[in-house]
Amino acid sequence: MRAYVVSLLKAWWGDAATEDNDFRFDYLPRLTGSHSTYETALAQIDGACKGYFLMGENPAVGSANAKVQRLGMANLEWLVVRDFSLIESATWWKDGPEIETGEMRTEDVGTEVFFFPAAAHTEKSGSFTNTNRTLQWHHAAVEPDGDARSDLWFMYHLGRIIRERLAGSTDERDRPVLDLTWDYPVEGPLDEPSAEAVLAEINGYGPDGAHLSTYDQLKDDGSTSCGCWIYCGVHADGVNQAARRKPGSEQDWIAAEWAWSWPSNRRVLYNRASADPDGEPWSERKALVWWDGERGRWTGHDVPDFKADKAPSYTPPHGARGPDAIAGNDPFILQADGKGWLFAPAGLVDGPMPTHYEPQDSPFDNPLYGHSRNPARQVFSREHNRFHPSGSDPGADVYPYVVTTYRLTEHFTAGGMSRWSPYLAELQPEFFCEVSPELAAERDLEHGGWATIVTARNAVEARVMVTDRMAPLRVQGRTLHQIGLPYHWGPNGYTTGDAANELSAIALDPNVHIQEVKALTADIRPGRRPRGPGLPGLVRAYRRRAGIDQDTGLEV
Amino acid sequence: MGRIAGPLDDVAGDAGHIGHPPRMGFFTDTSVCIGCKACEVACKEWNAIPEDGLTFTGMSYDNTQGLGADTWRHVAFIEQRKPLGLQDPGVEHGSYDAYDGVDVLGMASEAAARGGDGDRGELRWLMASDVCKHCTHAACLDVCPTGSLFRTEYGTVVVQEDICNGCGYCVPACPYGVIDQREDDGRVWKCTMCYDRISDGREPACAKACPTDSIQYGPLDELRERAAARVEQLHDAGVDDARLYGDDPGDGVGGDGAFFLLLDEPEAYGLPPDPVVTTRDLPSMWRHAGVAALTLLGGMAAAYAAGRRR
Repeated sequence: MRAYVVSLLKAWWGDAATEDNDFRFDYLPRLTGSHSTYETALAQIDGACKGYFLMGENPAVGSANAKVQRLGMANLEWLVVRDFSLIESATWWKDGPEIETGEMRTEDVGTEVFFFPAAAHTEKSGSFTNTNRTLQWHHAAVEPDGDARSDLWFMYHLGRIIRERLAGSTDERDRPVLDLTWDYPVEGPLDEPSAEAVLAEINGYGPDGAHLSTYDQLKDDGSTSCGCWIYCGVHADGVNQAARRKPGSEQDWIAAEWAWSWPSNRRVLYNRASADPDGEPWSERKALVWWDGERGRWTGHDVPDFKADKAPSYTPPHGARGPDAIAGNDPFILQADGKGWLFAPAGLVDGPMPTHYEPQDSPFDNPLYGHSRNPARQVFSREHNRFHPSGSDPGADVYPYVVTTYRLTEHFTAGGMSRWSPYLAELQPEFFCEVSPELAAERDLEHGGWATIVTARNAVEARVMVTDRMAPLRVQGRTLHQIGLPYHWGPNGYTTGDAANELSAIALDPNVHIQEVKALTADIRPGRRPRGPGLPGLVRAYRRRAGIDQDTGLEV
Repeated sequence: MGRIAGPLDDVAGDAGHIGHPPRMGFFTDTSVCIGCKACEVACKEWNAIPEDGLTFTGMSYDNTQGLGADTWRHVAFIEQRKPLGLQDPGVEHGSYDAYDGVDVLGMASEAAARGGDGDRGELRWLMASDVCKHCTHAACLDVCPTGSLFRTEYGTVVVQEDICNGCGYCVPACPYGVIDQREDDGRVWKCTMCYDRISDGREPACAKACPTDSIQYGPLDELRERAAARVEQLHDAGVDDARLYGDDPGDGVGGDGAFFLLLDEPEAYGLPPDPVVTTRDLPSMWRHAGVAALTLLGGMAAAYAAGRRR
């Protein structure tokens, strides 16, 4: 651990990081609390967060409770948006939903908004890393158009300009910025920083300046540098290993010479589990690694994810600690006991055993416990983030249906990359809601017509898709209808529509703070939503009818 | 001049190509189509076809509606209350209470209400990527007065955009309603089976982009063998309604260069059940017209003769 941290500090602060000054550990910024995205938005409303960079992110439609996101941005001193086009997060101050309803006036917005057009992946070099951990390099094919620049260009030149402004400063607080290693070579007509030089820095260097090839080489004495230990080896031998493209026909099915996977180019984690306790592959066809008894080593098609010379027969001696306490037949080496876990015995705020709680807004009481909601969840009751009565509470029937949000193949998340593309826009050209024939009959919804969906947060309109794919559920003896909402739309772009996230609330799970957008309650009614002040009026009327106040839904 | 109806083994040779490559085609296996529409987008990107309308149709996830001058691949989405093989669609909840399992543990207060709407028990969502059929006997080509439409050495049918004069004769001639005039330029456009790509040894853009190999490109003979084996496999798996469409050289167009594996009657996909090359009856039409003309003349002569007698 210390070798990784020291090498990281050496990568960031180079010669300024020495044994005597603890490798400048004190330069690292300190956490001042939770900086999760939703708490940041609320901190903006409270005036505690004053500046915001949005780089390829569109919270004005893509995050739960879009109105709270916009109101947060409206209370900033400055906002930087880097994206391909003028997404909703860049224009809410002049044409956002609150301007239309009169809840916000452009002349009252004090936020200074900067928009920087971003280069596409074809216009810059860098790597794609999917959840399979494989870094695949892409090379710039063309220079970006107009003012568009890569994120790397933006960050490098921003840092360069800040350092130039601070040059000569004797203020202690400027030292971490002035001491940074910020010496990347630039190339081409736009002074694009070399992405491969950054990759080489992340990979790391040894005492002789040679490229490191594995994180085992990292030292805690300041003789090595490495920007990210799991990436160590991606630039082994000075070669961009992520750019390897040996065809599948010229190597085995593991394809170890196609790009590079972290860590150590290992393609399958815990691959010791592909062999039986004695180290023989469970299946020859699916073999990944096995124990070579003659050489006393693990070997195989993949890079073994196991201590290379630990025999299958190894039994930890009494009192063994750390990796030594993991037996030769325990493949899951990052778990304390090396075993596969069916549940996490420690570390979860609401663990250890899995159980069932109802969603924050639910039409039903929890049949398992006397209290319905997860007592450890994070909820924030604000004027624009109110919750619904649930289950048997009075007013719950004002929002009798369940909304679930999801994605379509044709669009990508908050739409910044797809709603502006004509070829994708024409395939899914309008925001729609999916309802069952039974719900359509119950609420007089016409296929192809319009419907308005209402929660305590906001109301949206959507075209109606009546489909058998939406099936009424039978729950606790009564019928429950669902409303399906793809969440990609917003008011800007080539195809426009209301954002499903106008409806969702900021209610977060206790462990990883994920918003609850897969199940929330709502009402649906035929026809389009009101325009202007009538829209917040409709939402308020629903709240009054349901008896919602600042305490609703906060009970466990 | 080649034959205009009936089985034809060497379609490119019949069109005058000597020493040509094997006839190439598409086999679209709709049973593995996932409806991603990558074929539509890849086709438009490669061939620089304009976007042609932001219309929410309500036809399931199909907002493309059909093939046309500006749509050379079209993915149909069909929702049916029918079973798909042995799959459980999971849409019938009327007789199942989500809390029944809890009930068994004695924790729920209410017993499940039984009974449901019987015809809601089955659901299948068919997806199928349609394309120009590249007919063995292509009426569009037969009626083209300029020679803009031609038969390539691969046996495919291609419009030469610099020769088409926009007469539009080919449009009603197509038995599938594929070829179409572009509104702002009057010329006709349709799938070329990526003539530029296949001439360079590459597969067409749609087949290249298809992530499930629902769209397969290759020598037509091979594709027909593969398709027959696939139908057999599906039948063995209990998908009794799997059938091929356009694979039969004995059909009304002499078989299609682009044929399909369907899971229902062609009509369910908007395909004609028994397409016939519209020029097949031209010779007999001319014969009938001749007889009609003679009859008319004879009648007139008879009437004249009768009038003279009065």
